[in-house]
Amino acid sequence: MNHEDKSVETGQIDPILLSVYARTFKSITDEMSLSVEQTARSPILCEAKDFVTGLYDAAGNMLEQTENLPILAFSLAPVCKYLVEYFGDDIHEGDVIFHNDVFSMGNQNNDVAVYKPIFHRGELVAWSAVKGHQADIGGNVPGGYNPRATEVWQEALRIPPVKVYEKGVLRKDVWNLIFANIRLEIVQHDMRAQMGACTVGERRLLDVLEKYGRESFENHKTALFDATRKMMEAEIATIPEGIYSGEGYVYFDGHNLGTKFTIRVTVTVKDKHITFDYSDTDAQTDGFVNGTYTSSASAAILTFLQMVNPDIPHNEGMVGPIDMIIPEGTILNAAYPKATTFGNHLCPPNADAIIRALAPVIPDRVTAGWNNLLASLTTGLDEEKDEHYVDIGFMGLKGGSGAMNGTDGYDHIGMIDASGGILDQDYEMFEQQTPHLLKRHEYLIDSAGAGEWRGGLGVETEFIIGSEDTQLVTFGDGDFEPAFGLFGGKGGTLNEIKLTYPDGRVVVPNNKDLIEGVPRGSIYHQYAGGGGGYGDPAKRDRASLKEEVRNGVISVEAAKTAYGYEESNS
Amino acid sequence: MGLKIGIDVGGTFTDFLVAWQDREPEIFKVLSVSDDPSAAVINGLTEIASKQEPSLGLSEFLQRVETIVHGTTVTTNATLTRNGAKSGLITTEGVRDALEMRRGIREEQYNNRYTNVKPLVPRYLRAGVKGRLRRDGSEVEALSLDDVEKAIELFLTEGVEAVSICFMNAFINADHEHRAAELVRERMPDAYLTVSTDLLPSIRFYQRTSTTVLNSYIGPILNDYLEQLTGRLGRNGFNGLLMIMQSNGGVMTPETARKTAALTLLSGPAAGPGAGLVYAQAHDQQNCIVVDMGGTSFEAALVTGSPVLVNEGVIDRHRIALPMLAIHTIGAGGGSIGWIDEGGLLRMGPQSAGAVPGPVSYAQGGRLPACTDANLVLGYLNPDFFAGGSMKLDIEAARAAIKEHIAKPLGMDVESAAAGMYRVACNNMAQGVREVTIKRGFDPREFPMVVAGGAGPIHSCMICEELQIPFQIVPRESSILCAVGMLMGDLKHDFVRTFFARMEGLDWPALQTLVTNMVDEGTAMLINEGISQERQQFQVKLDCRYQKQYHEVSVEVEREWIEKADSDAIHSAFHAEHNRLYGYSLEDQQVSVDLINVRLQAIGVTDKPDFREQDYAGQDASAAFKGERDMYIFSKKAFFPVPVYDGHKMHFGNFVRGPAMIEQVTTAILVSDAYDCVLDQYGSFVVYEKGREDLLSPKLSGDQQ
Repeated sequence: MNHEDKSVETGQIDPILLSVYARTFKSITDEMSLSVEQTARSPILCEAKDFVTGLYDAAGNMLEQTENLPILAFSLAPVCKYLVEYFGDDIHEGDVIFHNDVFSMGNQNNDVAVYKPIFHRGELVAWSAVKGHQADIGGNVPGGYNPRATEVWQEALRIPPVKVYEKGVLRKDVWNLIFANIRLEIVQHDMRAQMGACTVGERRLLDVLEKYGRESFENHKTALFDATRKMMEAEIATIPEGIYSGEGYVYFDGHNLGTKFTIRVTVTVKDKHITFDYSDTDAQTDGFVNGTYTSSASAAILTFLQMVNPDIPHNEGMVGPIDMIIPEGTILNAAYPKATTFGNHLCPPNADAIIRALAPVIPDRVTAGWNNLLASLTTGLDEEKDEHYVDIGFMGLKGGSGAMNGTDGYDHIGMIDASGGILDQDYEMFEQQTPHLLKRHEYLIDSAGAGEWRGGLGVETEFIIGSEDTQLVTFGDGDFEPAFGLFGGKGGTLNEIKLTYPDGRVVVPNNKDLIEGVPRGSIYHQYAGGGGGYGDPAKRDRASLKEEVRNGVISVEAAKTAYGYEESNS
Repeated sequence: MGLKIGIDVGGTFTDFLVAWQDREPEIFKVLSVSDDPSAAVINGLTEIASKQEPSLGLSEFLQRVETIVHGTTVTTNATLTRNGAKSGLITTEGVRDALEMRRGIREEQYNNRYTNVKPLVPRYLRAGVKGRLRRDGSEVEALSLDDVEKAIELFLTEGVEAVSICFMNAFINADHEHRAAELVRERMPDAYLTVSTDLLPSIRFYQRTSTTVLNSYIGPILNDYLEQLTGRLGRNGFNGLLMIMQSNGGVMTPETARKTAALTLLSGPAAGPGAGLVYAQAHDQQNCIVVDMGGTSFEAALVTGSPVLVNEGVIDRHRIALPMLAIHTIGAGGGSIGWIDEGGLLRMGPQSAGAVPGPVSYAQGGRLPACTDANLVLGYLNPDFFAGGSMKLDIEAARAAIKEHIAKPLGMDVESAAAGMYRVACNNMAQGVREVTIKRGFDPREFPMVVAGGAGPIHSCMICEELQIPFQIVPRESSILCAVGMLMGDLKHDFVRTFFARMEGLDWPALQTLVTNMVDEGTAMLINEGISQERQQFQVKLDCRYQKQYHEVSVEVEREWIEKADSDAIHSAFHAEHNRLYGYSLEDQQVSVDLINVRLQAIGVTDKPDFREQDYAGQDASAAFKGERDMYIFSKKAFFPVPVYDGHKMHFGNFVRGPAMIEQVTTAILVSDAYDCVLDQYGSFVVYEKGREDLLSPKLSGDQQ
């Protein structure tokens, strides 16, 4: 077919073709995402969708992404740029590169990325990449969450940029070196699934290049970045110029009970630019409660994106007007060789700080506080099946989102860094894949922060542990401070996990803890709290309250005390 | 074989295909009656009767009708507009919120204004009852009939019309569900009841609950509708067979439909793919892509030997885990509105001008430029021959709207803006085709595309150029393809049973017994519907996955493999399917394969109307030539005169060179300058890439005549 002629008239931007490019990039990253979802083994990838797929230009600029879990999302382009610099002219057709190193733009040790350079007629034109949370990454503790870690080597195998395929040939020695240091075989299969998705992206992008030509691709790419940058600048321009600050709090570093740390952000809005400056944030901790540059930057970006038009395309132009200052040595950007696995979970307090900073100036675009994450992981032997199981308690960890002016919070959506992207295990599949018996998974009554607009509801989870000598790992927060309310709205409820042993003993783990030897028949009980409310509860629509009381998500007493509502006066 | 009628009740029109044994099929369209859909059916039939030679009364006509196959959107509409029955749910204590939580998803992650969809059963009508089964079906706690009784009391007080029962792990032991159902039937004899394991005895609690509730929610609506329809037909002399189209592309009797209303949620569009296949088969093709572009939506489906089935889908964010055709719908139609987003990019749809106010050129109050308006400006629609001339189009109003809303903001002229709208709409539709092909591991270039819907054939050349599809078929009946498909449907009943097993050490006798039982169940159903043994067929699929994978792949297997315990054959079929779908298999790694579900489709083959072949009329199409009109040619970015033909005067063998426009009353076909067109023996328009005569059957190349 005669498509070459279309690129001859380049230089000129065809506004129509621009729309076609934008739509096509998005469909490619979506297709890559579907490929991973359907083929991965680990539930954290295929059920919780803890991965991101993306396309980048030759220099590593973001063309488009599918961000199933946004907290990973804004580390892929920085890593890609790092790879371009690292390998220089040693990048070849057929190369496949792995990377997870948090001291070279990685966001979390467990989030391992595959990058595939895309060559068109012998020239590097773009990259496809998939970054996903692996079920294991070596280190001292299976699964990677080691609350006792003080250095990166106690957490994970570091993978600085390394070619596992060179010019299309598998480097078996390198492959074996990596997987000799990882406990679970499924990680190999999952990395293969990620590589497969990169190939899907490569094929589709090459189709586009064949069709329109290199020059058209480059020109329209630049135009797309410009158009998107303008959209983002227009959004920022609607925020009054000024300097705003806010705080969020982190409780317990995994080592010293009673510790508390502060994330301080100074947001500057000026000349269509927005800057998030964390210079006044507390110093790094001695444990694994530390962020990395890209996990903290992702947290700030994803929080801000929820305050602007959700239809802005996700490419380099979108992040252009957003600047970050995250000094090394702070809790949000720990210095080498600190432990950092908890870093992604510093997103909720980071988001709290940003929301508190911006709420006074854009009160109609922020939400009240979201429920923070408190998660658990159980491992043990399923004796009936004679198989070891690992279960991340997705269904139990998801509380409610914060309310905003005009919209109630979303019930049981989970922490802000996932924003409804993580799915509960199906109950019957949960009972097939673990020896546990689910007793309860229901909305948590009266958990939503009261307000004219109420917070999202949390959930209550209860199951009977079915394995002897079970190990429980907890990681998270939100058991000291609930999601906050805004403008007269009330806070949500606290997170809590507790175990009741068959002998009646009750064990309440810390929010970052490891409990061994939990006996069969113990009852696991978890409350994930609700989100914060917005505005004066007395102003809440009475018809909504009537329905909520009838549906039993707000009790008669709470309706009376928190909202001043009684059935008789409705 | 007597007279058969296919009736497709759509949002705007109710379409009829009247298939005679000894003459050309007839097409009729009447306006739908939204609040009383069966009235339009009767109106249409009355009109058809009166147009017979000699003219007949309705009952005179209906007495001659042997079969009516009917597709309906009443259940779809009831779901979308939330007008289903007042429903209650009886479920296991502790998990009554699963229905509303939908596993905790928010589809739009960055949009804090996006709220959850309201559940079809409110929380106060979702009753948790004591009684618990373990994962192996053994009882941990006895069913509390007292709790069931309390739920019934509540439902009676609240005036509940439809009840669903879904218990944890019931897929492996339905005893608790059946005992609860017995009590409900006794105490609420008039209520519509769905028991989860009767409808869908397979694992995954949320999917099963959601599907069960949907069935109950729309069951009474469908019942009322069918009662009205059968009543009206019966009173007017019809005593033939009435069949209802179902989402899996098959048909069922009204009695079956009453029990499994959720099977009708795709009743309308599900007939299209099967019909498309019939037209493709005329060219010895067993595979095709079928697209249908109407006023507000564009549907794409894939046929590989038979229409592609998926095991579940979503309607209005509610999950439905019943086999249905893989039909991908996007908001792209003649009414789709063009607009400029904040970044200055041109977008089309999904907002639609609909039938009211309609595109600007309809001059019925529409102000925003729609796809139809762009087509008019580009010369693709004839302002004086729209709907056969029954409606005048206002081209100046269309130009003005495009200028104001598209051309000015983009800094271009009206014609370029209209061309942009057309192109973006086509690109959206091409992405829709990718969803059903590339995303499922198929290369669209290998499939002929069957084009349907009033607006389809104006856009299909550009869609096909985008996807490099060289061969299109536009049936003469393209504007009512679904009504045609209804007469092509076989009786189809799907069964699924969960059967957990590792392929190594599989309990073959247990699997063989299960399949035999499922076949017996299907046989009983078909016999009940009057299908003799030689017309019964059974297809078996196994849902398999590699050890520790979470998602299954449905693999079609021969019954013989199961009977002979042929593990190798099943393994290699699974590896091959996994490889086709996801680009790799783990055959060499020796990874274990697990079996999750057994699926069976019982098929009762029905009589199909024959399409009559036309006599060869030669290549010359000049008798149909109407003149020339200026149209926008994309490759030249300018207007040129293009010959226009009257499609109704074209016959088997007639050939036109692209660019050309072929007009019919209900549709227009744009043959772009990259394609030529020839008519096949059924009068279908075959549009093929220039120079690709090799794709045509010898009959069409004109050589032999």
